[in-house]
Amino acid sequence: MNPAAQSFVQESRDILEDLEGILLELEADPANPKRIDAVFRALHTLKGSGAMFGFATLSAFTHHFENAYDRIRDGQAMVTPELIQLSLASRDHLERMLDAGPDTDGAPASDPATEELVARIEALETGAAAPTGTAPETERFVITFQPDAAALKNGMRPDLIIEELAELGEATVLTQAEDVPGLRDLDPTVCHLSWQVDLKTAAGREAIDDVFIFASDWTLRIEQPGAAADGAPTESAGDLHDSQASDAATPAQAAPQDSRVAQKTDSVRVQSHRLDELMDQLGELVIAQARLNRIADDLGDTGLDSTAEEIERLVTGLRDTTLSIRMLPIELVFGKFRRVVRDLSTELGKTVTLETRGGETEVDKNVIDSLTEPMVHIIRNSIDHGIETPEGRRAAGKPEQSRVIMRARQSGGEVLISVTDDGRGLDAEAIRTRGIERGLIMADQDISEDQLFGLIFEPGFSTAQSLSSVSGRGVGMDAVRRVLDDLRGSVEVKSQKGSGTEVTLRLPLTLAIIDGLLVKVGDNPFVLPLSNVEECVELPPDENTRKSGRSLLRIRDQLVPFLSLDALFGFDRVESPVRRVVITSVEGRRTGLVVDEVIGQYQTVIKPLSLYHRGIEGLAGSTILGDGSVALILDAAAVVRRAQGAQKAAA
Amino acid sequence: MDETAALQTALTFSLDGERFAIPVAHVNEIIDPLPITRAPNADPFAPGLVNVRGAIAPFVDLRRRLGMAPADLGETSRVLVLDLVIDGEPTKVAMLADDVDEITDAAASDLEAVPELGVRWPTHLIRGVARQDDALIILLDVDAAFAPTPS
Repeated sequence: MNPAAQSFVQESRDILEDLEGILLELEADPANPKRIDAVFRALHTLKGSGAMFGFATLSAFTHHFENAYDRIRDGQAMVTPELIQLSLASRDHLERMLDAGPDTDGAPASDPATEELVARIEALETGAAAPTGTAPETERFVITFQPDAAALKNGMRPDLIIEELAELGEATVLTQAEDVPGLRDLDPTVCHLSWQVDLKTAAGREAIDDVFIFASDWTLRIEQPGAAADGAPTESAGDLHDSQASDAATPAQAAPQDSRVAQKTDSVRVQSHRLDELMDQLGELVIAQARLNRIADDLGDTGLDSTAEEIERLVTGLRDTTLSIRMLPIELVFGKFRRVVRDLSTELGKTVTLETRGGETEVDKNVIDSLTEPMVHIIRNSIDHGIETPEGRRAAGKPEQSRVIMRARQSGGEVLISVTDDGRGLDAEAIRTRGIERGLIMADQDISEDQLFGLIFEPGFSTAQSLSSVSGRGVGMDAVRRVLDDLRGSVEVKSQKGSGTEVTLRLPLTLAIIDGLLVKVGDNPFVLPLSNVEECVELPPDENTRKSGRSLLRIRDQLVPFLSLDALFGFDRVESPVRRVVITSVEGRRTGLVVDEVIGQYQTVIKPLSLYHRGIEGLAGSTILGDGSVALILDAAAVVRRAQGAQKAAA
Repeated sequence: MDETAALQTALTFSLDGERFAIPVAHVNEIIDPLPITRAPNADPFAPGLVNVRGAIAPFVDLRRRLGMAPADLGETSRVLVLDLVIDGEPTKVAMLADDVDEITDAAASDLEAVPELGVRWPTHLIRGVARQDDALIILLDVDAAFAPTPS
């Protein structure tokens, strides 16, 4: 695909994404003319630009889709639930057409899926009633535009732009050829022409803007002569021949002037792998800088010291800026779920409203990318298992309409994302029975409710009586935990029988850098994610001598199990006078990890492990310390799980 | 890589008194021994990690795979930093050699099949043997010899 077509595909995806949101809003508020206009404009843009970039099939299909909304706009039809349903299906179909790429021969192809949708759209049209509506007023615009030098090379078609403008209403087109050079200097691949279109249309200014949406590099001026006075269209023929006329009118018409050229510098589209590369290089820089600091310390040269400090300051600033570039609002994930919730509740015959809060909370792009899958599993579980049928809810004395709330908030270096439903809650007894059946817990085991709920994240664990297409196969919640592990996050469940369930995901703000606690086990440095560390305490001397792998420690009236990392790692015990217990908190449970020395807090760049070490449970990555040695980053959740596994095996 | 072409320029090194060769195209650099960070619960074949000029590389113990006894560092011990492709991922791997000898241009015709008997190590790790001045050079099969899990 050429770059222009690629950018069309990318922008069209954005349009389709917006379109989904608009359609869902329109469903809630079917008479809103602004939303109807917005749908129409989106479709119109797709149709026009699709044709321009060789997506003929897409363009032809959109034409039918657009017609349906044109009729609504004209007041000949109404927005109905069927129309919304069909529109969403058509929107999905357009997405597939974008995936399929441009038509090779430039002619619209046809396939059964397209034809079926077209037939359904047309059936809707003929069946619709025709209430009367008021036709919008016609306005006059003078549009002057000149394609940029590379436009023709990129496959842009000014003729199609003109055609599209003409479709909006009554247009008079004037070609301006003053800038065409002599034949000797003429570069046939450069567009030397510019055009002025005098347009009378009811479609409004935004429709005109949309025609030029993929032509953002062009010089464009849209004016509304006599917009204020609304009554001087007399010299229409005369001024077309005078290219000065519109220029002369410019100063007086400052307000409606288009400032596209200035606008487009607001944001830049960057391929995400470039951000990854930037982050990689920054990681190297942070490590090199730590080395520089150490050398400066050793040499004790004041000039070098102050330079090293300055570089440290600059690197920190650069790191913060780079990280902020990678941050995206979590609304990007939430937004996808409006549709998921709607479709699921329709399929399962339940009425569910989705509320989102804190969508503006920002998370690293890589976290965002990995978040959709676990969220889908959680939402599906909520709606399928958690939320009762309308009859069930009535019987339980609850409102028929159920609510699912997605919340996000930042807390320290973590982002907490929770999904709350007001359904029937988890059945602790059923989970206990199933847990015993599967040998995960002992029949007589005294286990807290939180720990019991944790079992739903075990592979293949499902208490569902029946399978549905949606969930109940016992895959899903273990996938949630797996993804969260990969993201160095954790997941917690709270549930109240009869009144609902809350699943909370804790995620690091970024995957590239970690705030850690540097410790030593023997001579080997390890980094524990600070987000898992609650406190460090001294190891009581009598405990130190005990050889057993795991014991209990009393911390402020609470017994906390602890275990020795050297035993867990199979390292030889090194006698250390400064052995400490690092109290970690993982998924709401506290566990102490005995280390030989706590060195301090350490912010570090995470390097992924090679294939030789990736499979080792409990390791999250590696990093280089200021002295050049390699430290391993621990995955506290996996370490604790491994320890519990070892404990169970021993018992 | 073409087997015969690879043989033409190979780096030879010693392990436990034997001479081994690997195609020079895989050798990134030869450096002095480095401190190794032990990876807990790791396969003894890849017991740790090292910092090679700011890049973290797994450290592998070829002696272990070849069934040789562990040895201490000597005067001539060197670390070979290799550029390998492990399961499709370009990976920098460090290994210790007792000594690094030379870069040799053995002719392809010198390569002999591995004798079935009289070889101390698993034959699937070896591509062939070559004779040079009556000494035997063992050409390693890089993919098998450095695979993260033994085949």
